[in-house]
Amino acid sequence: MTAVAAKPAAGGAMNPTAMGVGVVLLLILLGACYFVSPGLGLMALIGIIIGGVLIGFGTHFVPVGGAPAAMGQAPGIATGVAMLAAGAGLAGLSGGAWAAEEGTAVAVITGGVGGGLMMAITCMLVNFVYVFGMGIPAASGKVKKDPITGDTQAEFKSQGTEGHGLPFVSFVGGVIGGILGGAGGTIIYLMLLDLYKATLPITMKATEAQIMPIAVSLAGMFAVGMFLVNAVLTAYNITGTIEGPHDPKFKRWPRSIVASAAASALCGLVAVLIVAM
Amino acid sequence: MTVKVEVVEGGVPHKKILAAGVIVSLVCLYLSYLNVMTNTMLYSFFGGLAVVAALYWGSHTIKVLCSYGIGTGVPSAGMISFGSGVIAMLLATKFGVAAPVVALVLAAVIGFILGYLSNEVLNMKIPAMVQALTELAVVGAFTLMGFAVLITGRFTFTELTTGSVSFLGGLATLPSYQVSFIGGCAIAVAFMLGALAIQHPFNACLGPGWTQDRMLMLTAECGFLSMIVGAVMSFALIPAGAALISLIVALIGWGYTYMKYFELSKRDAAAWLDAKPIPDVEGQ
Repeated sequence: MTAVAAKPAAGGAMNPTAMGVGVVLLLILLGACYFVSPGLGLMALIGIIIGGVLIGFGTHFVPVGGAPAAMGQAPGIATGVAMLAAGAGLAGLSGGAWAAEEGTAVAVITGGVGGGLMMAITCMLVNFVYVFGMGIPAASGKVKKDPITGDTQAEFKSQGTEGHGLPFVSFVGGVIGGILGGAGGTIIYLMLLDLYKATLPITMKATEAQIMPIAVSLAGMFAVGMFLVNAVLTAYNITGTIEGPHDPKFKRWPRSIVASAAASALCGLVAVLIVAM
Repeated sequence: MTVKVEVVEGGVPHKKILAAGVIVSLVCLYLSYLNVMTNTMLYSFFGGLAVVAALYWGSHTIKVLCSYGIGTGVPSAGMISFGSGVIAMLLATKFGVAAPVVALVLAAVIGFILGYLSNEVLNMKIPAMVQALTELAVVGAFTLMGFAVLITGRFTFTELTTGSVSFLGGLATLPSYQVSFIGGCAIAVAFMLGALAIQHPFNACLGPGWTQDRMLMLTAECGFLSMIVGAVMSFALIPAGAALISLIVALIGWGYTYMKYFELSKRDAAAWLDAKPIPDVEGQ
Protein backbone atom coordinates (compact mmCIF):
# COMPACT_ATOMS: atom_id res chain seq x y z
CA MET A 1 0.00 0.00 0.00
CA THR A 2 1.40 3.41 -0.85
CA ALA A 3 1.53 6.14 1.72
CA VAL A 4 -1.06 8.25 -0.07
CA ALA A 5 -3.57 5.42 -0.30
CA ALA A 6 -3.29 4.60 3.40
CA LYS A 7 -6.56 5.27 5.19
CA PRO A 8 -6.55 7.55 8.21
CA ALA A 9 -6.51 5.68 11.53
CA ALA A 10 -9.93 4.59 12.69
CA GLY A 11 -9.33 6.32 16.01
CA GLY A 12 -11.57 4.95 18.73
CA ALA A 13 -13.20 2.22 16.63
CA MET A 14 -12.86 -1.40 17.76
CA ASN A 15 -11.91 -4.22 15.41
CA PRO A 16 -13.97 -7.21 16.69
CA THR A 17 -12.17 -9.82 14.58
CA ALA A 18 -8.75 -8.70 15.76
CA MET A 19 -9.97 -8.54 19.38
CA GLY A 20 -11.15 -12.15 18.97
CA VAL A 21 -7.79 -13.17 17.54
CA GLY A 22 -6.10 -11.46 20.49
CA VAL A 23 -8.20 -13.39 23.03
CA VAL A 24 -7.62 -16.69 21.21
CA LEU A 25 -3.87 -15.96 21.15
CA LEU A 26 -3.99 -15.33 24.91
CA LEU A 27 -5.72 -18.69 25.51
CA ILE A 28 -3.27 -20.55 23.23
CA LEU A 29 -0.30 -19.06 25.10
CA LEU A 30 -1.85 -19.98 28.46
CA GLY A 31 -2.39 -23.52 27.13
CA ALA A 32 1.21 -23.71 25.95
CA CYS A 33 2.38 -22.63 29.40
CA TYR A 34 0.15 -25.27 31.05
CA PHE A 35 1.78 -27.82 28.73
CA VAL A 36 5.40 -26.96 29.63
CA SER A 37 5.05 -25.95 33.28
CA PRO A 38 1.61 -26.69 34.77
CA GLY A 39 2.24 -25.62 38.37
CA LEU A 40 4.59 -22.76 39.19
CA GLY A 41 5.00 -21.57 35.60
CA LEU A 42 1.28 -21.18 34.95
CA MET A 43 0.76 -19.33 38.24
CA ALA A 44 3.61 -16.97 37.35
CA LEU A 45 2.20 -16.40 33.86
CA ILE A 46 -1.25 -15.52 35.24
CA GLY A 47 0.40 -13.02 37.61
CA ILE A 48 2.38 -11.54 34.72
CA ILE A 49 -0.78 -11.11 32.64
CA ILE A 50 -2.55 -9.36 35.56
CA GLY A 51 0.49 -7.08 35.98
CA GLY A 52 0.63 -6.31 32.26
CA VAL A 53 -3.07 -5.47 32.12
CA LEU A 54 -2.69 -3.16 35.14
CA ILE A 55 0.15 -1.33 33.36
CA GLY A 56 -1.85 -1.03 30.13
CA PHE A 57 -4.99 0.18 31.91
CA GLY A 58 -3.13 2.47 34.30
CA THR A 59 -1.27 4.29 31.54
CA HIS A 60 -4.60 5.64 30.20
CA PHE A 61 -4.98 7.71 33.39
CA VAL A 62 -1.69 9.55 32.98
CA PRO A 63 -2.03 13.08 31.51
CA VAL A 64 0.31 13.10 28.50
CA GLY A 65 0.82 16.37 26.66
CA GLY A 66 3.73 15.69 24.33
CA ALA A 67 5.31 18.51 22.33
CA PRO A 68 2.16 20.73 22.30
CA ALA A 69 2.19 20.78 26.12
CA ALA A 70 5.77 22.01 26.10
CA MET A 71 4.55 25.04 24.16
CA GLY A 72 1.58 25.52 26.47
CA GLN A 73 -0.95 24.54 23.80
CA ALA A 74 -2.31 21.31 25.29
CA PRO A 75 -2.84 20.12 28.86
CA GLY A 76 -0.66 17.45 30.40
CA ILE A 77 2.97 16.64 31.11
CA ALA A 78 5.23 17.63 28.25
CA THR A 79 6.58 14.25 27.15
CA GLY A 80 5.46 11.03 25.46
CA VAL A 81 3.26 8.24 26.83
CA ALA A 82 6.03 5.66 26.77
CA MET A 83 8.45 7.88 28.71
CA LEU A 84 5.92 8.75 31.44
CA ALA A 85 4.71 5.18 31.83
CA ALA A 86 8.27 3.90 32.00
CA GLY A 87 9.22 6.58 34.54
CA ALA A 88 6.30 5.90 36.85
CA GLY A 89 6.46 2.14 36.46
CA LEU A 90 10.19 1.78 36.95
CA ALA A 91 10.08 4.04 40.02
CA GLY A 92 7.34 1.78 41.41
CA LEU A 93 9.23 -1.35 40.42
CA SER A 94 12.34 -0.19 42.30
CA GLY A 95 10.21 0.53 45.36
CA GLY A 96 8.45 -2.81 45.18
CA ALA A 97 11.71 -4.70 44.65
CA TRP A 98 13.10 -3.27 47.90
CA ALA A 99 10.06 -4.59 49.76
CA ALA A 100 10.06 -8.00 48.03
CA GLU A 101 11.10 -9.78 51.24
CA GLU A 102 8.11 -8.42 53.18
CA GLY A 103 5.61 -10.54 51.29
CA THR A 104 3.62 -10.11 48.09
CA ALA A 105 0.89 -7.79 49.42
CA VAL A 106 3.29 -5.35 51.09
CA ALA A 107 5.59 -5.31 48.07
CA VAL A 108 2.79 -4.69 45.57
CA ILE A 109 1.37 -1.85 47.70
CA THR A 110 4.86 -0.36 48.09
CA GLY A 111 5.32 -0.54 44.33
CA GLY A 112 2.00 1.22 43.80
CA VAL A 113 2.87 3.92 46.32
CA GLY A 114 6.28 4.38 44.67
CA GLY A 115 4.73 4.83 41.22
CA GLY A 116 1.98 7.12 42.57
CA LEU A 117 4.50 9.24 44.45
CA MET A 118 6.64 9.60 41.36
CA MET A 119 3.65 10.82 39.34
CA ALA A 120 2.43 13.11 42.14
CA ILE A 121 5.83 14.83 42.34
CA THR A 122 6.06 15.06 38.54
CA CYS A 123 2.54 16.51 38.20
CA MET A 124 3.11 19.04 40.97
CA LEU A 125 6.43 20.31 39.61
CA VAL A 126 5.00 20.41 36.09
CA ASN A 127 2.26 22.70 37.38
CA PHE A 128 4.84 24.83 39.19
CA VAL A 129 6.68 25.31 35.91
CA TYR A 130 3.47 26.03 34.01
CA VAL A 131 2.05 28.51 36.51
CA PHE A 132 5.15 30.29 37.80
CA GLY A 133 7.54 29.72 34.91
CA MET A 134 5.37 30.05 31.82
CA GLY A 135 2.61 32.11 33.41
CA ILE A 136 -0.32 30.04 32.20
CA PRO A 137 -3.31 28.82 34.26
CA ALA A 138 -4.46 25.19 34.28
CA ALA A 139 -7.46 24.62 32.03
CA SER A 140 -8.88 21.55 30.34
CA GLY A 141 -10.01 21.74 26.73
CA LYS A 142 -11.99 18.51 26.69
CA VAL A 143 -14.59 19.17 29.44
CA LYS A 144 -16.58 22.26 30.47
CA LYS A 145 -16.26 21.58 34.20
CA ASP A 146 -13.65 19.71 36.17
CA PRO A 147 -15.41 16.42 37.08
CA ILE A 148 -13.96 16.43 40.63
CA THR A 149 -13.86 20.07 41.77
CA GLY A 150 -16.63 21.36 39.49
CA ASP A 151 -14.54 24.40 38.47
CA THR A 152 -15.43 25.83 35.08
CA GLN A 153 -12.65 25.65 32.51
CA ALA A 154 -13.65 27.72 29.47
CA GLU A 155 -12.80 31.16 30.93
CA PHE A 156 -9.22 30.14 31.58
CA LYS A 157 -8.58 28.49 28.24
CA SER A 158 -6.68 30.58 25.68
CA GLN A 159 -8.06 30.82 22.19
CA GLY A 160 -6.54 28.49 19.65
CA THR A 161 -5.29 26.00 22.24
CA GLU A 162 -6.70 22.72 23.49
CA GLY A 163 -6.26 23.90 27.06
CA HIS A 164 -3.03 24.10 29.02
CA GLY A 165 -1.47 23.37 32.37
CA LEU A 166 -2.53 20.45 34.52
CA PRO A 167 -6.14 20.63 35.85
CA PHE A 168 -6.97 18.88 39.13
CA VAL A 169 -8.64 15.89 37.46
CA SER A 170 -5.50 15.28 35.39
CA PHE A 171 -3.38 15.40 38.54
CA VAL A 172 -5.60 12.77 40.21
CA GLY A 173 -5.53 10.69 37.01
CA GLY A 174 -1.74 10.83 36.95
CA VAL A 175 -1.47 9.57 40.52
CA ILE A 176 -3.96 6.74 39.87
CA GLY A 177 -2.04 5.80 36.73
CA GLY A 178 1.24 5.77 38.64
CA ILE A 179 -0.24 3.54 41.37
CA LEU A 180 -1.63 1.03 38.86
CA GLY A 181 1.56 1.02 36.77
CA GLY A 182 3.89 0.66 39.75
CA ALA A 183 1.78 -2.15 41.23
CA GLY A 184 1.61 -3.92 37.85
CA GLY A 185 5.37 -3.75 37.33
CA THR A 186 5.97 -5.06 40.87
CA ILE A 187 3.59 -8.00 40.35
CA ILE A 188 5.50 -9.06 37.23
CA TYR A 189 8.83 -8.80 39.08
CA LEU A 190 7.61 -10.74 42.15
CA MET A 191 6.04 -13.54 40.10
CA LEU A 192 9.23 -14.06 38.11
CA LEU A 193 11.43 -13.79 41.20
CA ASP A 194 9.44 -16.48 43.02
CA LEU A 195 9.57 -18.73 39.96
CA TYR A 196 13.33 -18.30 39.48
CA LYS A 197 14.09 -18.72 43.20
CA ALA A 198 12.27 -22.04 43.13
CA THR A 199 13.61 -23.43 39.84
CA LEU A 200 17.09 -21.96 39.19
CA PRO A 201 18.82 -23.82 42.07
CA ILE A 202 17.74 -27.11 40.45
CA THR A 203 18.66 -26.25 36.85
CA MET A 204 21.98 -24.60 37.80
CA LYS A 205 22.84 -27.01 40.65
CA ALA A 206 23.58 -24.32 43.22
CA THR A 207 22.10 -23.08 46.48
CA GLU A 208 19.37 -20.46 46.58
CA ALA A 209 21.72 -17.88 48.13
CA GLN A 210 24.20 -18.36 45.28
CA ILE A 211 21.69 -17.89 42.47
CA MET A 212 19.96 -14.88 44.05
CA PRO A 213 21.91 -12.30 41.95
CA ILE A 214 20.89 -14.12 38.78
CA ALA A 215 17.26 -14.54 39.89
CA VAL A 216 16.97 -10.85 40.80
CA SER A 217 18.70 -9.68 37.63
CA LEU A 218 16.73 -11.97 35.31
CA ALA A 219 13.39 -11.09 36.95
CA GLY A 220 14.28 -7.40 36.86
CA MET A 221 15.29 -7.41 33.19
CA PHE A 222 12.21 -9.36 32.12
CA ALA A 223 10.01 -7.01 34.18
CA VAL A 224 11.60 -3.95 32.54
CA GLY A 225 11.23 -5.51 29.08
CA MET A 226 7.56 -6.37 29.62
CA PHE A 227 6.94 -2.98 31.15
CA LEU A 228 8.29 -1.18 28.08
CA VAL A 229 6.36 -3.45 25.70
CA ASN A 230 3.09 -2.76 27.54
CA ALA A 231 3.79 0.96 27.88
CA VAL A 232 4.54 1.38 24.17
CA LEU A 233 1.51 -0.69 23.11
CA THR A 234 -0.63 1.61 25.27
CA ALA A 235 1.09 4.61 23.71
CA TYR A 236 0.08 3.24 20.30
CA ASN A 237 -3.49 2.90 21.58
CA ILE A 238 -3.62 6.50 22.75
CA THR A 239 -1.65 7.91 19.76
CA GLY A 240 -0.47 11.26 20.96
CA THR A 241 -1.95 13.15 23.85
CA ILE A 242 -4.51 12.31 26.52
CA GLU A 243 -5.73 14.52 29.37
CA GLY A 244 -6.63 11.84 31.87
CA PRO A 245 -9.73 9.82 32.81
CA HIS A 246 -12.13 12.49 31.51
CA ASP A 247 -10.65 12.49 28.01
CA PRO A 248 -12.76 10.84 25.24
CA LYS A 249 -9.69 8.79 24.27
CA PHE A 250 -9.92 7.06 27.68
CA LYS A 251 -12.81 4.99 26.28
CA ARG A 252 -10.32 3.10 24.10
CA TRP A 253 -9.08 1.07 27.09
CA PRO A 254 -10.75 -2.26 26.18
CA ARG A 255 -8.48 -2.54 23.12
CA SER A 256 -5.46 -1.93 25.27
CA ILE A 257 -6.54 -4.59 27.80
CA VAL A 258 -6.70 -7.26 25.08
CA ALA A 259 -3.39 -6.19 23.51
CA SER A 260 -1.57 -5.95 26.86
CA ALA A 261 -2.90 -9.32 28.04
CA ALA A 262 -1.82 -11.06 24.83
CA ALA A 263 1.58 -9.32 24.73
CA SER A 264 2.25 -10.06 28.42
CA ALA A 265 1.27 -13.69 27.91
CA LEU A 266 3.70 -13.94 25.00
CA CYS A 267 6.62 -12.32 26.82
CA GLY A 268 5.74 -14.12 30.07
CA LEU A 269 5.76 -17.50 28.34
CA VAL A 270 9.29 -16.80 27.06
CA ALA A 271 10.34 -15.82 30.60
CA VAL A 272 8.87 -19.07 31.98
CA LEU A 273 10.51 -21.15 29.22
CA ILE A 274 13.99 -20.04 30.30
CA VAL A 275 13.67 -22.25 33.39
CA ALA A 276 11.16 -24.81 32.07
CA MET A 277 13.42 -26.04 29.28
CA MET B 1 -2.26 9.72 11.73
CA THR B 2 -1.06 7.56 8.88
CA VAL B 3 -0.18 10.26 6.39
CA LYS B 4 3.39 9.66 5.44
CA VAL B 5 5.24 12.93 5.74
CA GLU B 6 8.49 11.97 4.04
CA VAL B 7 9.62 9.37 1.57
CA VAL B 8 12.99 7.78 1.08
CA GLU B 9 14.36 9.60 -1.95
CA GLY B 10 17.40 8.11 -3.52
CA GLY B 11 19.93 6.49 -1.25
CA VAL B 12 20.20 2.80 -0.44
CA PRO B 13 16.83 0.98 -0.40
CA HIS B 14 15.66 -0.35 2.97
CA LYS B 15 15.77 -4.00 1.84
CA LYS B 16 19.52 -3.76 1.18
CA ILE B 17 20.18 -2.25 4.60
CA LEU B 18 17.99 -4.95 6.20
CA ALA B 19 19.88 -7.77 4.47
CA ALA B 20 23.28 -6.26 5.23
CA GLY B 21 22.32 -5.68 8.88
CA VAL B 22 21.17 -9.26 9.45
CA ILE B 23 24.14 -10.84 7.68
CA VAL B 24 26.87 -8.64 9.19
CA SER B 25 25.46 -8.97 12.73
CA LEU B 26 25.13 -12.75 12.47
CA VAL B 27 28.60 -13.15 10.95
CA CYS B 28 30.17 -10.93 13.62
CA LEU B 29 28.41 -12.81 16.42
CA TYR B 30 29.63 -16.11 15.02
CA LEU B 31 33.16 -14.78 14.45
CA SER B 32 33.28 -14.20 18.20
CA TYR B 33 33.00 -17.98 18.51
CA LEU B 34 36.71 -17.97 17.61
CA ASN B 35 37.06 -17.12 21.32
CA VAL B 36 35.84 -20.59 22.24
CA MET B 37 37.80 -22.34 19.48
CA THR B 38 41.11 -20.70 20.34
CA ASN B 39 40.33 -20.52 24.08
CA THR B 40 41.09 -16.79 24.32
CA MET B 41 39.02 -13.62 24.66
CA LEU B 42 40.84 -11.70 21.90
CA TYR B 43 37.92 -11.81 19.46
CA SER B 44 35.40 -10.19 21.84
CA PHE B 45 35.44 -6.96 19.82
CA PHE B 46 33.40 -8.71 17.10
CA GLY B 47 30.48 -8.37 19.54
CA GLY B 48 30.85 -4.60 19.42
CA LEU B 49 30.91 -4.65 15.61
CA ALA B 50 27.70 -6.73 15.65
CA VAL B 51 26.15 -4.02 17.86
CA VAL B 52 27.08 -1.30 15.36
CA ALA B 53 25.74 -3.31 12.40
CA ALA B 54 22.45 -4.07 14.15
CA LEU B 55 21.97 -0.45 15.22
CA TYR B 56 22.77 0.76 11.67
CA TRP B 57 19.94 -1.37 10.35
CA GLY B 58 17.62 -0.56 13.27
CA SER B 59 17.84 3.19 12.94
CA HIS B 60 16.80 2.96 9.30
CA THR B 61 13.85 0.76 10.31
CA ILE B 62 12.84 3.44 12.83
CA LYS B 63 13.01 5.96 9.99
CA VAL B 64 10.66 3.80 7.88
CA LEU B 65 8.20 3.37 10.78
CA CYS B 66 8.29 6.86 12.24
CA SER B 67 7.97 8.72 8.95
CA TYR B 68 4.29 7.70 9.15
CA GLY B 69 3.84 10.02 12.13
CA ILE B 70 2.83 7.44 14.74
CA GLY B 71 2.15 10.20 17.26
CA THR B 72 4.07 8.64 20.13
CA GLY B 73 7.53 10.02 19.57
CA VAL B 74 10.54 8.33 18.05
CA PRO B 75 11.99 7.05 21.38
CA SER B 76 8.99 4.75 21.91
CA ALA B 77 10.12 2.71 18.91
CA GLY B 78 13.54 2.24 20.50
CA MET B 79 11.92 1.25 23.78
CA ILE B 80 9.70 -1.48 22.29
CA SER B 81 12.65 -2.68 20.23
CA PHE B 82 14.75 -3.38 23.31
CA GLY B 83 11.79 -4.42 25.52
CA SER B 84 10.94 -7.24 23.14
CA GLY B 85 14.55 -7.87 22.16
CA VAL B 86 15.82 -8.50 25.69
CA ILE B 87 13.14 -11.14 26.25
CA ALA B 88 14.05 -13.01 23.07
CA MET B 89 17.80 -12.66 23.68
CA LEU B 90 17.67 -14.07 27.22
CA LEU B 91 15.84 -17.24 26.16
CA ALA B 92 18.03 -17.63 23.06
CA THR B 93 21.22 -17.78 25.15
CA LYS B 94 20.01 -21.16 26.46
CA PHE B 95 20.57 -22.73 23.02
CA GLY B 96 24.37 -22.82 23.10
CA VAL B 97 26.09 -22.28 19.78
CA ALA B 98 22.77 -21.80 17.96
CA ALA B 99 21.97 -18.76 20.14
CA PRO B 100 22.26 -15.99 17.47
CA VAL B 101 20.03 -17.87 15.01
CA VAL B 102 17.50 -18.69 17.73
CA ALA B 103 17.53 -15.02 18.80
CA LEU B 104 16.78 -14.03 15.19
CA VAL B 105 13.82 -16.42 14.87
CA LEU B 106 12.39 -15.91 18.36
CA ALA B 107 12.65 -12.11 18.22
CA ALA B 108 11.03 -12.11 14.78
CA VAL B 109 8.09 -14.16 16.13
CA ILE B 110 7.65 -11.89 19.17
CA GLY B 111 7.98 -8.76 17.03
CA PHE B 112 5.49 -10.07 14.46
CA ILE B 113 2.86 -10.77 17.14
CA LEU B 114 3.42 -7.36 18.76
CA GLY B 115 3.13 -5.76 15.33
CA TYR B 116 -0.15 -7.58 14.70
CA LEU B 117 -1.49 -6.50 18.11
CA SER B 118 -0.65 -2.85 17.52
CA ASN B 119 -1.83 -2.75 13.92
CA GLU B 120 -5.07 -4.71 14.23
CA VAL B 121 -6.15 -4.82 17.89
CA LEU B 122 -5.05 -1.27 18.64
CA ASN B 123 -6.16 -0.17 15.17
CA MET B 124 -2.99 1.68 14.18
CA LYS B 125 -3.40 0.63 10.52
CA ILE B 126 0.13 1.62 9.52
CA PRO B 127 1.36 -0.35 6.47
CA ALA B 128 4.95 -0.64 7.71
CA MET B 129 4.04 -1.49 11.32
CA VAL B 130 4.22 -5.30 11.38
CA GLN B 131 7.46 -5.51 9.42
CA ALA B 132 9.07 -2.68 11.37
CA LEU B 133 8.28 -4.13 14.81
CA THR B 134 9.51 -7.55 13.64
CA GLU B 135 12.79 -6.01 12.51
CA LEU B 136 13.15 -3.87 15.62
CA ALA B 137 12.76 -6.85 17.96
CA VAL B 138 15.55 -8.67 16.07
CA VAL B 139 17.71 -5.53 16.25
CA GLY B 140 17.16 -5.34 20.02
CA ALA B 141 18.06 -9.00 20.51
CA PHE B 142 21.19 -8.78 18.30
CA THR B 143 22.39 -5.59 19.98
CA LEU B 144 22.09 -7.07 23.46
CA MET B 145 23.76 -10.29 22.36
CA GLY B 146 26.54 -8.21 20.80
CA PHE B 147 27.06 -6.37 24.08
CA ALA B 148 27.11 -9.70 25.92
CA VAL B 149 29.89 -10.92 23.62
CA LEU B 150 31.77 -7.63 23.88
CA ILE B 151 31.68 -7.63 27.67
CA THR B 152 32.11 -11.34 28.47
CA GLY B 153 33.43 -12.89 25.24
CA ARG B 154 30.65 -15.51 25.15
CA PHE B 155 26.95 -15.72 24.33
CA THR B 156 25.68 -18.82 26.14
CA PHE B 157 23.53 -18.70 29.27
CA THR B 158 26.00 -20.58 31.49
CA GLU B 159 28.88 -18.29 30.53
CA LEU B 160 26.77 -15.17 30.94
CA THR B 161 25.67 -16.12 34.46
CA THR B 162 28.90 -17.60 35.83
CA GLY B 163 32.00 -15.58 36.53
CA SER B 164 34.99 -16.04 38.82
CA VAL B 165 36.54 -14.01 41.59
CA SER B 166 40.30 -14.21 42.05
CA PHE B 167 41.91 -13.42 45.37
CA LEU B 168 45.33 -13.65 47.01
CA GLY B 169 46.72 -11.76 44.04
CA GLY B 170 45.33 -14.15 41.45
CA LEU B 171 46.66 -17.30 43.14
CA ALA B 172 43.20 -18.76 43.70
CA THR B 173 39.87 -18.31 41.94
CA LEU B 174 36.35 -19.09 43.05
CA PRO B 175 33.28 -19.37 40.83
CA SER B 176 30.84 -16.56 41.45
CA TYR B 177 27.45 -15.82 39.96
CA GLN B 178 27.63 -12.19 40.95
CA VAL B 179 30.61 -11.33 38.73
CA SER B 180 28.86 -11.99 35.45
CA PHE B 181 26.95 -10.25 32.67
CA ILE B 182 23.51 -11.19 33.99
CA GLY B 183 24.24 -11.70 37.69
CA GLY B 184 26.03 -8.37 37.94
CA CYS B 185 23.22 -6.71 35.94
CA ALA B 186 25.64 -5.35 33.33
CA ILE B 187 22.79 -6.28 30.98
CA ALA B 188 20.81 -3.30 32.31
CA VAL B 189 23.57 -0.91 31.27
CA ALA B 190 23.85 -2.64 27.90
CA PHE B 191 20.08 -2.24 27.52
CA MET B 192 20.18 1.52 28.00
CA LEU B 193 23.36 1.97 25.91
CA GLY B 194 21.64 0.25 23.00
CA ALA B 195 18.26 1.90 23.49
CA LEU B 196 19.79 5.38 23.49
CA ALA B 197 21.94 4.64 20.46
CA ILE B 198 19.03 3.33 18.39
CA GLN B 199 16.52 6.08 19.12
CA HIS B 200 18.82 9.06 18.90
CA PRO B 201 19.90 9.17 15.21
CA PHE B 202 16.49 9.54 13.57
CA ASN B 203 15.27 11.78 16.39
CA ALA B 204 18.25 14.07 15.76
CA CYS B 205 18.22 14.03 11.95
CA LEU B 206 14.49 14.01 11.10
CA GLY B 207 12.89 16.86 9.24
CA PRO B 208 12.84 18.23 5.70
CA GLY B 209 16.65 18.23 5.57
CA TRP B 210 16.90 14.52 6.36
CA THR B 211 19.57 12.69 4.40
CA GLN B 212 20.12 8.97 4.63
CA ASP B 213 23.90 8.87 4.73
CA ARG B 214 24.12 11.51 7.45
CA MET B 215 21.63 9.68 9.70
CA LEU B 216 23.34 6.34 9.18
CA MET B 217 26.75 7.86 9.89
CA LEU B 218 25.36 9.28 13.13
CA THR B 219 24.05 5.81 13.99
CA ALA B 220 27.47 4.29 13.48
CA GLU B 221 28.95 7.06 15.62
CA CYS B 222 26.42 6.38 18.42
CA GLY B 223 27.07 2.66 18.10
CA PHE B 224 30.84 3.06 18.50
CA LEU B 225 30.27 5.47 21.39
CA SER B 226 28.24 2.78 23.17
CA MET B 227 30.94 0.27 22.26
CA ILE B 228 33.55 2.42 24.05
CA VAL B 229 31.50 2.21 27.26
CA GLY B 230 30.96 -1.52 26.73
CA ALA B 231 34.70 -2.04 26.18
CA VAL B 232 35.51 -0.17 29.39
CA MET B 233 33.03 -2.36 31.26
CA SER B 234 34.61 -5.48 29.77
CA PHE B 235 37.83 -4.85 31.72
CA ALA B 236 35.96 -6.31 34.73
CA LEU B 237 35.10 -9.61 33.10
CA ILE B 238 37.72 -10.46 30.43
CA PRO B 239 41.54 -10.20 30.41
CA ALA B 240 42.89 -6.67 30.08
CA GLY B 241 44.61 -7.37 26.73
CA ALA B 242 41.39 -8.47 25.04
CA ALA B 243 39.47 -5.56 26.56
CA LEU B 244 42.14 -3.16 25.32
CA ILE B 245 41.73 -4.46 21.74
CA SER B 246 37.96 -3.80 21.98
CA LEU B 247 38.60 -0.33 23.35
CA ILE B 248 41.07 0.55 20.60
CA VAL B 249 38.72 -0.73 17.88
CA ALA B 250 35.88 1.27 19.41
CA LEU B 251 37.95 4.44 19.71
CA ILE B 252 39.19 4.22 16.11
CA GLY B 253 35.67 3.52 14.83
CA TRP B 254 34.22 6.37 16.86
CA GLY B 255 36.88 8.84 15.78
CA TYR B 256 36.44 7.97 12.10
CA THR B 257 32.61 8.06 12.13
CA TYR B 258 32.59 11.28 14.16
CA MET B 259 34.81 13.02 11.59
CA LYS B 260 32.69 11.71 8.73
CA TYR B 261 29.48 12.80 10.47
CA PHE B 262 30.94 16.26 10.99
CA GLU B 263 31.77 16.48 7.29
CA LEU B 264 28.29 15.34 6.25
CA SER B 265 26.68 17.84 8.64
CA LYS B 266 28.71 20.63 7.06
CA ARG B 267 27.70 19.38 3.59
CA ASP B 268 23.97 19.43 4.47
CA ALA B 269 23.99 22.71 6.35
CA ALA B 270 22.79 25.80 4.51
CA ALA B 271 25.79 27.69 5.82
CA TRP B 272 28.20 27.29 8.68
CA LEU B 273 30.58 29.47 10.56
CA ASP B 274 33.62 28.09 12.35
CA ALA B 275 32.94 30.16 15.46
CA LYS B 276 35.37 29.97 18.35
CA PRO B 277 33.98 29.28 21.81
CA ILE B 278 35.47 32.48 23.26
CA PRO B 279 36.03 35.29 20.75
CA ASP B 280 39.50 36.91 20.78
CA VAL B 281 39.41 40.40 22.14
CA GLU B 282 41.25 42.83 19.93
CA GLY B 283 44.43 44.39 21.22
CA GLN B 284 45.50 41.53 23.46
